[in-house]
Amino acid sequence: MQAPPVEVKELNKRYKNGVWANREISLTVEPGEMLGILGPNGAGKTTLVRQITTELIPTSGEVRVFGIDAVAHYNEVKGYMGVMPQEAQLFYGLSVRHHLRIFGKLRGLSAKMAAHRAEELIADLRLEQHRDKPTDELSGGLKRRLLVGIAALVDPPLMVLDEPSAGLDPEARHDLWELLRGYRRKGTTVLLTTHNMEEAKVLCDRVGIIQDGRLLALDTVDNLKAGHGYEYKITFEVDDKTETIYGSTDKELVAQVQAKGIRQYAVSRTTLEDVYLGLTRNRRTEGEDEANSG
Amino acid sequence: MKQTVDDSLRKSGDRFYQELNAATGAYRTGGIGKFISDSVSVFELNLIPIMRQWYLIVLFAAAFPLPWFYVTKAIAPDDPNVLRRLLAGTLVFGVAMSIGMLVGQSAVAQRFMGNLKLIITMPVSKGAFFLGTLAYSSISGIITVVMLLGFGIAAGVEISISWGFVPALALTVLTMAGLTMLVISFAPTQQIGNISAALLAMVLAIVSPVYFTMEQAPLVLKALGYISPLRYAADGITKSLSGRADVLVELVVLTGFAIVTMSLGLWRFPWRED
Repeated sequence: MQAPPVEVKELNKRYKNGVWANREISLTVEPGEMLGILGPNGAGKTTLVRQITTELIPTSGEVRVFGIDAVAHYNEVKGYMGVMPQEAQLFYGLSVRHHLRIFGKLRGLSAKMAAHRAEELIADLRLEQHRDKPTDELSGGLKRRLLVGIAALVDPPLMVLDEPSAGLDPEARHDLWELLRGYRRKGTTVLLTTHNMEEAKVLCDRVGIIQDGRLLALDTVDNLKAGHGYEYKITFEVDDKTETIYGSTDKELVAQVQAKGIRQYAVSRTTLEDVYLGLTRNRRTEGEDEANSG
Repeated sequence: MKQTVDDSLRKSGDRFYQELNAATGAYRTGGIGKFISDSVSVFELNLIPIMRQWYLIVLFAAAFPLPWFYVTKAIAPDDPNVLRRLLAGTLVFGVAMSIGMLVGQSAVAQRFMGNLKLIITMPVSKGAFFLGTLAYSSISGIITVVMLLGFGIAAGVEISISWGFVPALALTVLTMAGLTMLVISFAPTQQIGNISAALLAMVLAIVSPVYFTMEQAPLVLKALGYISPLRYAADGITKSLSGRADVLVELVVLTGFAIVTMSLGLWRFPWRED
């Protein structure tokens, strides 16, 4: 049986300042899927990704990429992965073509193949008009596009993208999503982090929700919503405060609200955001309880 | 090492991969060929952005060493041995400054501005990154050496270069680069990294007896001279400029310094975070 693209077992990361950034995380990324790790800033998403991409050494636990131990054989593992780190910067003064050609060589392609691949990617990324422009003259969206292109240089079987759409305007974000969908259609496995609910919903086959370094849930969006227990929600205002009630049917919710004499309300299906807020609020409450009992 | 592409790793086959396999058999993730190619690529990453301002590199190489040699020569006695020592001292000072500052600036900028993150995601060794950065920084050092030798000859310094000249300079370059990588690995910010690299080169060159011999050095500097690689560099280069071949001791000591400083610099420079 083929080893999964990414397998993480009981992963823990404690930084030198004593902060636990990841605790007991276990997950498997299946071949060809797009898996999103969703969580607020500081939840431990980037720490998790940096351990998978071998940049950060775990405190304990196991990371395997296509069955290969990513801690011990980090250079070999890099050969199977295209990575877009969150804070990576392009080189000042180098053009789009320079970046793709030089990084193609660093990726292991011959000079001739790297030049050929650079031209091919410039077309795929729709960067023809910007081919010879220094990258410092590109917009944020085009820079992100190029960084994804660098990750895709040898068309790796696995791409790991840390907040690929952070800071992009809606148009650039949708362009990027289309690009990523293209890689998934080709069969590439994609692991990405995001704090954008819509991105997780429209792009990902499965979503993992992470907070305080712990993986709280991992499933398809539909299953996560089903696990939430309620399919509908009703939102209304009482004393200038917005309140939300969850229920299994819309009729049941409407009846509840009307019984309170409320005439203005909005009924909708529960969203990934509701699941996310529910899980992270529960976790926060548990954390406070632990702190109080401790 | 060549990495073959296993199509079963992906859900569907891919045209680029099939073409790549047909054309090259595989793509490389290791081996000596990859190491050299990676060093060249890192050299390009450093060089291309400054190509449009190439004159700045020439100015940087000449701005300090040439006027400094001119001034010291003007106040020095007209003795061929003294003038050769001055030329050797300025060569060591100039090369140490060039290498220290450029290796420092390049590595520190890439580390703190996020460029290094992009390189680290590639199957590239720390050694190849180091060699590429060093090769780029050496351009300025080579210009300094060529200009100073030409200037020295034009100014009437009697020189006869022996075989030890190039190895002594090369070992000085490696030692300074290793020391610089070691020092900047402790820097918490880009500013501190740049200041540390510049200070290292300046202080080391000033406190080492490079412009005079150990016999002429004051007591404190004499003590520092025994542990300073630049003093051995200046001694070896002075002898080499006099046509003397007895530079083996200096070369052996410099080799030791180069191995130790490069090993420490490579070991300390952050590549994978713990």
